[in-house]
Amino acid sequence: MSDMLKKYGEVIGFHAMDSLLAIAERLEGKKIVHVNSTKEGGGVAEILSSMVPLSQELGLDVAWEVIEGDEPFFNCTKTLHNSLQGMAGGLSQSQAGAYMDTNRKNAERLKDVLESADYVFIHDPQPAALLGLFPERKGKWIWRCHIDVSSPNRSVWRFVKKQVEGYDASIFSLPDFAQNLPHPQYLITPSIDPLSEKNRPLAKSEVLKIYEELGIRRDKPVILQVSRFDRFKDPLGVIESYRLAREHVDIRLVLAGGGAADDPESGEVLSAVKEAAAGDPDISVLLLPADAHRTINALQAGADVVMQKSTKEGFGLTVTEAMWKKKPVVGGDVGGIRLQVINRFNGFRVRSPEGAAIRIRYLLTHRWKRERMGVNARQYVLENFLITGQLRNYLSLLISLDGKEAEWEPWI
Amino acid sequence: MKKQSKTVPFCFKECSLLPISTGIRAQTLRELRSAIPEIPESSLYYHFWGRMLRPHIPESEFNNDFASWADSGLGDIELAEELSAINPVKNQNLDELRSILEDILEARLEAGDFTSWKKADREFYFIACKKFMFDTGRRTECLEDFPVAVKTSSRQSFFHHFLDGRRRSREGKDDFSLWLEQFGERTEDIRARLSRVDSYLFSLGELKGQIVTLLEKGLGKGGTE
Repeated sequence: MSDMLKKYGEVIGFHAMDSLLAIAERLEGKKIVHVNSTKEGGGVAEILSSMVPLSQELGLDVAWEVIEGDEPFFNCTKTLHNSLQGMAGGLSQSQAGAYMDTNRKNAERLKDVLESADYVFIHDPQPAALLGLFPERKGKWIWRCHIDVSSPNRSVWRFVKKQVEGYDASIFSLPDFAQNLPHPQYLITPSIDPLSEKNRPLAKSEVLKIYEELGIRRDKPVILQVSRFDRFKDPLGVIESYRLAREHVDIRLVLAGGGAADDPESGEVLSAVKEAAAGDPDISVLLLPADAHRTINALQAGADVVMQKSTKEGFGLTVTEAMWKKKPVVGGDVGGIRLQVINRFNGFRVRSPEGAAIRIRYLLTHRWKRERMGVNARQYVLENFLITGQLRNYLSLLISLDGKEAEWEPWI
Repeated sequence: MKKQSKTVPFCFKECSLLPISTGIRAQTLRELRSAIPEIPESSLYYHFWGRMLRPHIPESEFNNDFASWADSGLGDIELAEELSAINPVKNQNLDELRSILEDILEARLEAGDFTSWKKADREFYFIACKKFMFDTGRRTECLEDFPVAVKTSSRQSFFHHFLDGRRRSREGKDDFSLWLEQFGERTEDIRARLSRVDSYLFSLGELKGQIVTLLEKGLGKGGTE
């Protein structure tokens, strides 16, 4: 077992690693390709940054390709993203044109690698049209949808559906997101990497140093939300919750996040957040570069309560990250957070700024319960949301695509 | 000298469980009842057994997804209790299990109170699954080593041998107990203890911890207690 695999083994157990190797062996010689729209920033890029090297270490032939797009394309895909999460409005003809053009150009560029691959994972709607541009494809193609499409804008969904119905399978994070599609829809939750710079343990001195460097005093409890500046993450709602809680407990609020290369709206949301926070010395708004993993690690490790007050959420990786650091999470009662945060066990799910405020107060005034929930949170992540488990599911899925349809419990 | 019969090794196997959306959902008790005949066998398996392999907390009051939904979705505690009393180990045939479920839901609908038309806060999503089983290649023959071997096995392996083992065995016995039978009286006590473990009130991790403790106490160095 390589050093990298041994390190994962130390976290999940060596026999669990052996099992992962045994599953990977069954895919020996197969070429697997992942395609998404950004190399850094956002959850998909983070997962692939860990999953691809881990897969390679297991002896698999895995490649990761990123599609190239211009501003009109990313404006279009942001509209797609927002509309699939239920926002009103549709795709204009020019946007649809930009979408197809970019997919066409990328199909030409990636022709050799995608046409010959045994399995292709296409992540999210941005590169979804690639499938239709590979009529001679050799392998099985899987569409991996990371976003909350539980109640999509129907006209936009129809457009996306046309692109994805030809896939051999799709993957959603929750059953609530599954759609009427003519192929199997697997349910696999995203995960975090316990060995990544964002999640490995940090010395307390380093945590304090990073807080100091960021100019955040530790003289009162710190409430933290880490997420892209995206309206669905509800940063303004977080500020409101903080203000309501502050009437009872003296606290600081840190809103930290970066933009993703494929998210043209983040600047607009950040301005609104800065405006709402203006004049309050206890609110820190931090725009961090996409590679500020260690900083985010320290912020999460040093926070007293972590929030993820999203109003739509495919799956909150920052929720899992905080839980891994033994932090109870106050999260929006939506999407994947419903699976991650179990009321009173490892945090609280809330539906309003008022609800968030009262949970913040509760956690800050019940230290023993806060610590207990933190311990539960870490164990829950260990058992359910680590990269090794997600990869195991992906590999099992690939094996299942080659299996007999009728049997639901085969020996392999 | 009496020739000793050779010990049959314990072969560690395990499984991978992949949930698959069926596209079938229910928001009322009547919809739930109507869907039961349509759902595949693997969906029954998933909602009775598969829940142990997915995000699951030890404090779950009810031991299958139907009961949990009756409680949290419909607010019908009486129905939840009744559904929770279904013992899937005693009804290994999935079609039998389906019939029992249908009977309970039908009876509740016939009672005709508000539960039959109440809309649940959250829909019930029927999930099917594909379960792959494979041999890990690990073997153990020595009784004294057995507790450590179980302790270091993966969650999926533990699930396969203990929980799913009870389903696969005609007598409802887990794989550990079946293997221990070859040691005769020496393991009688530990087998009796294993058979009494209530597997549905714990998370998989907790259950594993409990079984390992039982095995350590019963089979630790120096043999049985």
